[in-house]
Amino acid sequence: MAVLSPYLYTGGVHKHGLLIELLEDLGGYLIQKVVTGTEVNLIMLIPKKDVPIVKKQSDKLLGIITEAPLTGVEIAIVSPTLASHHLPHSACDVAESLRSPGANTNMIGLARGMGRRVSLSMDYERKLINEHDIAVFTFGAFSDCIINKKPKLFEGIEIPIVVTGGPDLKTEEVPGADLYVGNIGRTSHRLRKADEVNALDKLSKEIGKIADDIRRQQSKDPLSVIPAKVMTEIENQIPEIHSALSPAPLTLQLDGIRVKLPYDEFHEKIEKLEFDEGVILSELANISRSKMKNYILIKIKSKSEVGFAI
Amino acid sequence: MSERQMDSLETFVVDSVIASEQEFYRKIIEDNLASLKLAPAVGRIKVVLRPGDSLFQMVIILRDVGSKIKTVDIADVESKSFAKKIIISIKTEQYIPELLEKLWEFYGKANISQPDRLTVVISTDRSEEEAAFIREMMVADPRHRIHENLVDFAIRVTPEGFRVRYHLYKGNRFIFVASEEALKNEWIVEAEEMLEELTGAGEK
Repeated sequence: MAVLSPYLYTGGVHKHGLLIELLEDLGGYLIQKVVTGTEVNLIMLIPKKDVPIVKKQSDKLLGIITEAPLTGVEIAIVSPTLASHHLPHSACDVAESLRSPGANTNMIGLARGMGRRVSLSMDYERKLINEHDIAVFTFGAFSDCIINKKPKLFEGIEIPIVVTGGPDLKTEEVPGADLYVGNIGRTSHRLRKADEVNALDKLSKEIGKIADDIRRQQSKDPLSVIPAKVMTEIENQIPEIHSALSPAPLTLQLDGIRVKLPYDEFHEKIEKLEFDEGVILSELANISRSKMKNYILIKIKSKSEVGFAI
Repeated sequence: MSERQMDSLETFVVDSVIASEQEFYRKIIEDNLASLKLAPAVGRIKVVLRPGDSLFQMVIILRDVGSKIKTVDIADVESKSFAKKIIISIKTEQYIPELLEKLWEFYGKANISQPDRLTVVISTDRSEEEAAFIREMMVADPRHRIHENLVDFAIRVTPEGFRVRYHLYKGNRFIFVASEEALKNEWIVEAEEMLEELTGAGEK
């Protein structure tokens, strides 16, 4: 199977269809297309050896093509609550800085996450967070809280946990965290000073490393079908997805895909999704009701579990 | 202490066990003061943070923010009894929204027109009496507005989980103590001592 690399194209709307056609001819996948005015952003997976060809076409169109290491990663930004203490800064700034390298982010405000002794998370919230690939917890300014009190919110979280906060701590000091990034504490202003922007850059770079680790783990026992292929088939076989109004109606994850269509109406169609190889999706993946609204969550089984890969 | 006018933010102390956290918190307070436009009204402020005890204490001494504002302070009111109209020519733009709101309440929107930004015309049969009333009408009370903002400010800067609160607003002094646990009396006493200390700070 060809190795795919994630890239982001930014350029004018004019003739950008040529690039999409080229990508399809090469066997790559278009993950997301965002048109804003006369500009277009394309997030795509390009076969590694064909990247120079796509670059050449993008140069011809006077666009810019950059690597987007977080493409196909769905990240949960978990803030203790959705009160003005955390939003829009710094939780939204963190989410925004992760979207530019290609990630899809969801903001999750816990119902009772605030405080020291009283903070807690609910079963429903933990399950919702676990549907993602990586969770980023945005905490405040006090090291005492981050080290001693807040880690109880990590209980029951099975995905990698990234923590942001004000003080300059080491990852080992925060129990349960897979990564800690300082200098992004509670603020009431937009993060735009040099040290703050550096911290955000560091955050997205380090999260990129975590995503790579997960991918590397996955490559030892690869998925029976890559999520991008499922995405293309859904687009071809379920036309209703084109009229779904949710942002990113098909959200890729490292080991699955979130389909933003109502579960009851569409889950059978998704289960019976056919591939050219003659198999249907329910043989390759677990399809369940998502904790997010009434969406459909597809988690793809590994090759060892299914016995073959397509 | 009234013999000398305080500068705005002449004392601004944030106290915490860990120095770097002080700086973070100072920034949060600065930002919130700015976004609520409170900075000119605050003379001295001291904040003490004790995350170990889940305690947040804040004392503020406000500057003199001026007295109540009447229409006559911000506008010329002229009565035209023959035309059955009152013409208000506004001099200070700042209070137009408050003035219009009061006038709408008394005379109804239908009877008020605003031919240009700084002129308001009211149609009334008793223009003389009404003009006299409007001249003495209270338009805005800066103290009231500051009180509202001050409470909002206190809630915004307190760590979010600290939902047990005590506050006292008397004259130009404001005390705010918040915690996650039941408030201890000595914390409030401490805050009162801080206020005393802050009051004395300008009288050296």
